[in-house]
Amino acid sequence: MTAGTRMSDVSATMDFRRRDARDKLMGRTRYTIDRYLPGMLHAAVLRASVPAGRIVRLDTAKAARMPGVRAIVTAADAPGTIGIGIADHPLFARDLIRYNGEPLAAVAADTLIQAHAALAAIEVEIEPLSPVLTMAEAIAPDARLVHPDWHDYEILLAGGAREGNVAWEASVVRGDVDAAFARPDVVIVDSNFRVGRQNHVAFEPRAVVASYEDGRFHIETSTQVPWTIRNATARLLGIPASQVRVTVPPVGGGFGLKFDIAIEPFAALLARASGRPVRLVNSREEEMLTCLFRENAEIRIRSAVTQAGEIVGREAVVLMDCGAYGGEQIFLTTMTAHTLGGNYRLGSVRLVSRAIYTNTAPNGAFRACNGVYNTFALERHTDEIAARIGMDPLAFRSRNVLGDGALGATGQRFDGDVLGPMLDRMNTMRPATATSRERNDGRLYGRATTVGTWFVFVGPSAATVNMNADGTATLVTSGVEIGSGSMMQALPQIVAATLGIAPDNVIVRTADTDAAGYDVGVGGGRTTVSLGAASLQAAQEVRKKLLKVASEMLEAAPEDLVMQNGRIEIAGAPGSGRSVAEVASHAQAKEGPVSATGAFTGRGVPAMPGCVAGHFIDAIDIPVFAVHDCEVAVDRDTGHVEVLSYKVVQDVGRALNPRAIRGQIQGGVVQGLGYALHEEVTIGADGSVRQAGFETYRVPLALDVVPVEISLYEGAPSMGPLGTKGAGEVPILNVGATIACAVANATGKRVQELPLTPPRVLELILGRKPALAFPHIADAWADNLVRPHGQP
Amino acid sequence: MAVSLIVNGERMASSADPMTPLVDVLREDFHLTGAKPVCREGFCGACMVLLDGAPALSCLMPLALAEHCEIRTVEGLSSGGTLTPIQTALEAHDAVQCGMCFPGMVVSLTHVLATTPSPTRDDIRMALTGNICRCTGYERIVEAALSAVAK
Amino acid sequence: MPGSIVVAPLLDVALDALAERGANGAAFAGGTWIMRSPIRHEPLQSHFVAIGKILELTTISVAPDRIEIGAAVTHTALAAALADIPELDVLTAAAGRSANPAIRAMATIGGNLATAGFAAADCVPALLCLDAEVEIASRGDSERMPLQRFLDIRSTLAPGQLLTRIIVPRSVRSTAHARLPLRKAGDYPVAIVSLAVNRDAAARIQSARIAVGAVEPVARRWERLEAAVVGRPLEPERMAEMAAEFADDFVGRDSIEVPAWYRVSVLPSLMRRAAAAALGGRALSGMEG
Repeated sequence: MTAGTRMSDVSATMDFRRRDARDKLMGRTRYTIDRYLPGMLHAAVLRASVPAGRIVRLDTAKAARMPGVRAIVTAADAPGTIGIGIADHPLFARDLIRYNGEPLAAVAADTLIQAHAALAAIEVEIEPLSPVLTMAEAIAPDARLVHPDWHDYEILLAGGAREGNVAWEASVVRGDVDAAFARPDVVIVDSNFRVGRQNHVAFEPRAVVASYEDGRFHIETSTQVPWTIRNATARLLGIPASQVRVTVPPVGGGFGLKFDIAIEPFAALLARASGRPVRLVNSREEEMLTCLFRENAEIRIRSAVTQAGEIVGREAVVLMDCGAYGGEQIFLTTMTAHTLGGNYRLGSVRLVSRAIYTNTAPNGAFRACNGVYNTFALERHTDEIAARIGMDPLAFRSRNVLGDGALGATGQRFDGDVLGPMLDRMNTMRPATATSRERNDGRLYGRATTVGTWFVFVGPSAATVNMNADGTATLVTSGVEIGSGSMMQALPQIVAATLGIAPDNVIVRTADTDAAGYDVGVGGGRTTVSLGAASLQAAQEVRKKLLKVASEMLEAAPEDLVMQNGRIEIAGAPGSGRSVAEVASHAQAKEGPVSATGAFTGRGVPAMPGCVAGHFIDAIDIPVFAVHDCEVAVDRDTGHVEVLSYKVVQDVGRALNPRAIRGQIQGGVVQGLGYALHEEVTIGADGSVRQAGFETYRVPLALDVVPVEISLYEGAPSMGPLGTKGAGEVPILNVGATIACAVANATGKRVQELPLTPPRVLELILGRKPALAFPHIADAWADNLVRPHGQP
Repeated sequence: MAVSLIVNGERMASSADPMTPLVDVLREDFHLTGAKPVCREGFCGACMVLLDGAPALSCLMPLALAEHCEIRTVEGLSSGGTLTPIQTALEAHDAVQCGMCFPGMVVSLTHVLATTPSPTRDDIRMALTGNICRCTGYERIVEAALSAVAK
Repeated sequence: MPGSIVVAPLLDVALDALAERGANGAAFAGGTWIMRSPIRHEPLQSHFVAIGKILELTTISVAPDRIEIGAAVTHTALAAALADIPELDVLTAAAGRSANPAIRAMATIGGNLATAGFAAADCVPALLCLDAEVEIASRGDSERMPLQRFLDIRSTLAPGQLLTRIIVPRSVRSTAHARLPLRKAGDYPVAIVSLAVNRDAAARIQSARIAVGAVEPVARRWERLEAAVVGRPLEPERMAEMAAEFADDFVGRDSIEVPAWYRVSVLPSLMRRAAAAALGGRALSGMEG
């Protein structure tokens, strides 16, 4: 059931402060890593040190006898497999090792040092196999299979094409692309792009404290998705999900890393085996090497464009590296259509995204996922088109951006003119004169403006509002506060505004799968929308009940009553009526405590029939648009790029808490600057990530950033509660694109790769960087598919 | 043999191995979990404490070298639940997101503001070279610090 | 086999303790390198002798003809002590800008020089271009040698030998330190050029010391360029051109952060920056923080 946007007496914007700031500033907040229970054991995981191999022997007998060791668990203790789309992922490697770092066993001991000593005593014999480390190797005709039994895996979502090392393939075809390319009045622009992985660097590593009591597991974990933890743990262990309870302390950063199961099942198994609480925390090295990275990818995109600037045809092939298991990348093949196929009106389009297995650590979701590199590829390609037909890149964008009634890549219809007016607003933010051109320090100067399309990941949420006799309300959801403030600010604001009480009087219960209903998870910009809508619905129900009771107490019709300032009053007569506390106590005494539930899920916008194959989401319920602009200066001798200015116009629907949104934009842009300029991830010959710590993995520091100039664009249509859209995810979407286009403009060189580290930029400037070519991507689009589009 | 140190004005003793990093002693022996071990290589600043008044990275300091030293953790900067000026400024500027970097930020900025007369924006940013924040993009932290200077 | 640590109050005590521990002993100064052993996957099993509280090792003495720096002086302390001595700008900059503020407050100059595995140490090229000497002490003995010689033998020091002092002779010169991190600051520089020149009345270079760090595993002097600049004005563009001519004197090292060619490629630009800084009285230039 969807939420409406009524409520004339809902408060306008509140720049409401977050309630958890004080404790965080004083160092009092207890994150999962700060929880030490009496009698707690310390766990560690034995991980493979080769990228591919067959396990010949694994013997834990000696380790079990080591001092302090209380339990050891292995593959035999975890019979299940999990996955998205296909169940390909066991908890421990069984016969085959598929990545360097894959778990082989787990130990719990009195101290961490003892646990590590026990790991060293586990006897492992591995017969190495030849690893498949790149996507090109993986899809070569004679490639060794990462999953020899791929064909027999349980299918969790029907419809995806898959074969061999192609874990999943999603395709989109709308219109006749061949005809478009064959037109005599078009130019064909062909572009290749490549990106590496990005690590979230969530400050709190993945961490869990697990106990086993009365036949049930209690898992306390640093997660964004308590219900996924519950259900996936149960599946892996082969137990009913009702035996698992998940609670979530404050989370020290997520960004998508914690949108999937992490290390909880190891701790759960060890807690059951030992009868003691077990603490397991990933080391920073484990976080660097086995992060669920934003995947590395290769993109080839071609467009047929008329001299007047109309895009009559577009096709693309995107290769996405899953790593050893499909995971999030299988779902993300869906998002190419909405991002690489987004932004612009297209006469015809065909896109295929192929998620490829390699013998490397599995990738996952990171803030705006593949939207980030798809937008980089699309916007650079757009600038190449503009240059080819001699049109100003801004004029080309203005001419072509999605507007009211435009068809997306999957044939959905977009409502409202949003990107056009947002571009206009950016024009007013840009100064009339390019002052940077006057600088005389020998550097190369450039600027760029880019557009981006993303979406709010809707999905089911539930909420309960319990009215307390003292006039406060308790909001119960499975939402988690990961830093964006949505749980601390937007949600209590929505409930408070509906009930006319102060936000401080709304208690937000921390996530507990025993207490609250199902929620897909926190991330994807969905907290304010989905959890907000469910909370709004629940609050509205409570309001109705209170008004009914109040109307009896006051002998007035419910329609004549208002709830404000903690009171229920007769409209137009402030000070009349009763306090909310009085009404609530009266109701409680008469009929029992007042409470109500709400639920929300996406409405489901239709796509065009036949357009999509293998997609998890055919059309996006709530699109989110962004326009970014930046100026850069490039040192021609060292390749260093300095960002001089950065501007954002973000489509927010309605800004409930503008200050919180601005904080998300500043933070998201800076993460994007890291992706664009600094955060390189490379894989060594042993199949492991080379950047194992903060010395070699460089995130932006205070000196590397600029204050982002922000304009919140309100008013675009949204089915979110009160017209809101999620704002936390999209700030990162365009940053790689904007920096890349600006650097290309500054240097006059063809930027095809991120991150633009100084050596990479210097290589470009010196003309020593060969153009990217992907021999493993076939020229004929259809030759890149496992089976023809739409064929079952 | 126990190592004795003064933590937040109180005499404490730990019998952990003398090579144990101070951050683990603070957290596990003294239950002062404010300092966070995030990188364990001195780059992120989340474990920062004041050692005899100077900022020190407790992940790189063995317990033995902290003997008889005066250590102040983030918990010891405010008293009775009253925020210090820099904490007040950070709250007023709505700077906090996930919060994990803030103990180190607060220790670092407390020292900067106490020892640098009239720091500029760039002075603050340079002083934060060893304090990483992944959530906020730094601007509000710098703004808050500058506003605390003005007072 | 677990390690151990004792805190030595006096130099004699430290030297005795090191001699007793033999091959299993090791000096512990700031500890910023040693305490990262776990992340290098090295066992922390030496028997350490902490020298950071020894008064004579944490003293800096400034005399008209030389500066003496105790091996356990921190980067922060050194930068503060030399701040008003323009002739030593190169060393002030090296000590005052490396790593980050908290590391500088803990890491020592002696540690910087003695750690053979640390190729990007800022103080090494800075001290090389100042003709620094070092003193090595052991129980009942001490020896002085040029810094370059120490760099050659530091991996083969006998157990019980300890770097105790750095001696910097003073002279009239213009100095500068050009370091290139990949971010604005906070990471180890990928290349360093440290420069010390003295010029005649006509502002032509009479003698030059140019040291290059981080490019190769060990910092060293750029002798050919030093010889070539003699008699010329300290003109940044011309210095850069000459550096480009002699850049292949260096074979860069590959690392995770940058490829070898890049380190050598930026040398002319760093030479330009160092020359400009030495001219302008500012010690440090470019992408530094």
